[in-house]
Amino acid sequence: MAAITLENVSRHFGSVAAVDNVNLNVDAGEFVTLLGPSGCGKTTTLRMVAGLEQNTGGRIAIDNQVVSDANASFFIPPERRMLGMVFQSYAIWPHMTVFDNVAYPLRIRRKSTQEIAEKVKTALRLVEMENYADRPAPALSGGQQQRVAIARALVFEPRVLLLDEPLSNLDARLRTQTGDEFRALQKRLGITSLYVTHDQGEAMALSDRIVVMHSGHILQIGSPEEIYRRPANRGVAGFFGSPNFLPSKVQACAPQADGSFLLTLDGPGWVGPCGCSSALAVGTDVLVMVRPENMRIADKASIGAGEMSWTGPIVQSIFRGTHRSIVAETPAGRLNIDVPSVHNPAVGESITLAADSKAVWATPTN
Amino acid sequence: MTDNTAGTLRGSKLADKPLAGPNSLAFRLSRYFTGRDAAVLTLVLILGFLAVYPLAMLFYGSLHSTPPGMAGEFNLDGYRSIFTASNMVVLLNTVGISLAKTIPALLMAVLLAWIVARTDTPYRDKLEVLITLPFFVPPILTAMAWGMLGNPQVGLLNQVWKWATGSQTSIINVYSYGGVVWHMIQYSTPFLFLFIVDIFRAMDPSLEESSRMCGASRWRTFRNITLMLMLPALTNSFILSFIRGIESFESPLFFGTPAKITVITTEIYNSINHRATPDYQYATALSFAIMALMFILVIWQWRLLRGRTFSTVTGKGYAPNVMKLGKWKWVTFGFCILFFFVTVVLPIGQLAIGSFFRFFGFYSRDMLTLEHYSAVLGNAEVWRAFSNTMLLGLLGATATMVLGSVVAYVSIRTRWRGRRLIDALAWLPWMMPGMVLGIGFLWAFAMLPGPIPIYGTIWALLLAYMALGTPVSVRVMTSAYAQLSYDLEECSRVHGASFFQTLWRILIALAWPSFAVGWVLAFFGIMRELSASILLYSVGSEVLSVVLLRLWSNGQAEQVSVIGLFMMLLVIVFRWAQLRFIKNRISTL
Repeated sequence: MAAITLENVSRHFGSVAAVDNVNLNVDAGEFVTLLGPSGCGKTTTLRMVAGLEQNTGGRIAIDNQVVSDANASFFIPPERRMLGMVFQSYAIWPHMTVFDNVAYPLRIRRKSTQEIAEKVKTALRLVEMENYADRPAPALSGGQQQRVAIARALVFEPRVLLLDEPLSNLDARLRTQTGDEFRALQKRLGITSLYVTHDQGEAMALSDRIVVMHSGHILQIGSPEEIYRRPANRGVAGFFGSPNFLPSKVQACAPQADGSFLLTLDGPGWVGPCGCSSALAVGTDVLVMVRPENMRIADKASIGAGEMSWTGPIVQSIFRGTHRSIVAETPAGRLNIDVPSVHNPAVGESITLAADSKAVWATPTN
Repeated sequence: MTDNTAGTLRGSKLADKPLAGPNSLAFRLSRYFTGRDAAVLTLVLILGFLAVYPLAMLFYGSLHSTPPGMAGEFNLDGYRSIFTASNMVVLLNTVGISLAKTIPALLMAVLLAWIVARTDTPYRDKLEVLITLPFFVPPILTAMAWGMLGNPQVGLLNQVWKWATGSQTSIINVYSYGGVVWHMIQYSTPFLFLFIVDIFRAMDPSLEESSRMCGASRWRTFRNITLMLMLPALTNSFILSFIRGIESFESPLFFGTPAKITVITTEIYNSINHRATPDYQYATALSFAIMALMFILVIWQWRLLRGRTFSTVTGKGYAPNVMKLGKWKWVTFGFCILFFFVTVVLPIGQLAIGSFFRFFGFYSRDMLTLEHYSAVLGNAEVWRAFSNTMLLGLLGATATMVLGSVVAYVSIRTRWRGRRLIDALAWLPWMMPGMVLGIGFLWAFAMLPGPIPIYGTIWALLLAYMALGTPVSVRVMTSAYAQLSYDLEECSRVHGASFFQTLWRILIALAWPSFAVGWVLAFFGIMRELSASILLYSVGSEVLSVVLLRLWSNGQAEQVSVIGLFMMLLVIVFRWAQLRFIKNRISTL
């Protein structure tokens, strides 16, 4: 059952399309992240689901009930959509205590005092803030405010939880911890969540599925692994990490059991097998994506049939603590490789690099 | 696109699900939209009545040969009669006096603001309260007090001078250009101070520190960085103060008129009140001319400020650089105290002394009396004026702030059609001096169709006060709303609160301290208002300032002192309450 459905949803500001024909289904209990650089339309999309922004085209449904249909001029205001939302600034009302902040959605719905007390207590316990109920809201740290905001969004058991970059105002260490805690909580409650972020690490760690957006369009939708390993195009590939892109030509193309295709490629100074999502004609130009962490330094003899390899001298070597970044000048171009930091090959030394064909992926050049 | 995106298109099963009652909702929506338009229309009508209607009637009146409400013909005599040599002098006086008071007031305000915000002068927070107090004292009170202090014959300061030096000649005559300018400086300085001190405080100290690190001296940093950063705001304050100088009525009335020094406001007043037959057409044409002058000034101000209003005021709470003054800190402390002494203690002291002696100027023991107190307390007219003032203050301040809150909300928090019109209408009275607005309303009430008996009642005054106060109330509430992020409201909406619930529980709950501050300002504004009141009052609807002026003209300076003291007490109580209760509330947010 689809908890959120977006059908051809658009949002135009004058002649500018902030969101252009977006289609998306979020299943019940699923955690979906909208990911993209700032200005890509992800926040606008979220706000249209919330009802804080009206879509100028298409329609939006929550729990299979249409909440906004631009063609029929049908629009349900945000307060009647039964959603929980966590804002980037947390939007903790400074004139209320923690308890009042969390109780607000219940008081608006005229629940009994006893029910309010119970539910607020439960919600605060979920985020481990039950001891702070009587604190005035401005007396909280950023991390605590964020927890209160989550408790407030969950307290009335909303149909869907919307989160607008909720971790971006926290420092790095707290961000990871809070993110993991939140993901555990979300799984436990099974609440459908739509999450907006520009941080790829966050998106991968938290989501069931990621929606990569760019200038109002969806580039790709898929599980974190799918998006990371099998990007639909160079834009998506470049958004995660800093992979190498090697130009080459298709020599042969064979369909695989999982629906993908295995290409045989011919690049400058190398040949090898590589996966691809669509069938490509012989002679087509493609870009091969090889991630730095998926390459290894190998003896020429040890290279297997399923691998591709390149040889060239090292031009740069940088120690980064967790690993070492090496740049090698090969016939295929300059390649970035991440190797364990205990390795310390000298600059100028010629090395051979190998990558498993399962770890590389070809995308069309455009 | 890839298979992945294609996979999500399967959600079109929605198409066969009927839309849940779009007709009923579309109907509700259309009602919602017309309700919104009706609200905007109501606001436009209210503001139009308060600002555009009197302005239009002013124009009508300037072309009409007879006083309001009488049959007459239309001609240009009014405009012809204002272009005279003597009016050229009046114009020069007006501009010259306003310039002459604005420049020293600005310098003094910068100095005082710097002392309070940027030095380690002792008791700075208390000094700030003292320095700003004159701004809240009605100018009519200090005008009368200085009329007694600086009277060339019997003024207290001259008596002290003669007693101390044995001289026979007076050194001070407030009935002069100097007197007019001096009195204006007294309340312009705290007005400018209030603007400038916050700019000094809001400045990011790293901007100055980086200048010091580049090798600039302290003084050079002050000149090249601090002052330059403040320049847009200083220019703005300068023009604002200059405009208020042109609108000023009390100072030229009290100190200029006896010395035959006339400015535009007193010329308008005299042509209605001090001629055998009031020349309404002349006064109205002159009012229209002053509006033109104001219009030019306001346009100038807008052009100067375009795009750089809040460049240095970031709203972040910085700890500004504080300069260690060493021994000099007692000099700066003394300077602040001196300012307070001259602008507050001297006038209040004069009122206190004046109230206890039979005749002011004759301060000997056998002249001590309480008869003025009993005379004032037994004067029914004074009591009536007092209750009128209080009623108008309470009603007027509340109505002005409610109107200002709604206008500010519509103009900055919504995207409704017509919001810019509303904003512009609310701003219009800013260009109208009280005197001009008074004349405009005089015509407006007289020209009202049918038997609407507003003229001559206190409701006439209420409407004028609302018009005069609205620009300030809109400004106060605009800055209050601007500090509240949209998230706070949107969050409430998403979590189930309707528009009105959000308004009440979030916006009003958070903005009320600013509302209260604005309310007190509006109340003070009404209590001190003289120039519009003097034109619009009639028997039964006098306010305190009008009664004070009438008693003063009758030579009853001693009774004036008694009333003045009571008003002063009121000012201090209100100001104390404002600082004590409202400021605390704001700082906790």
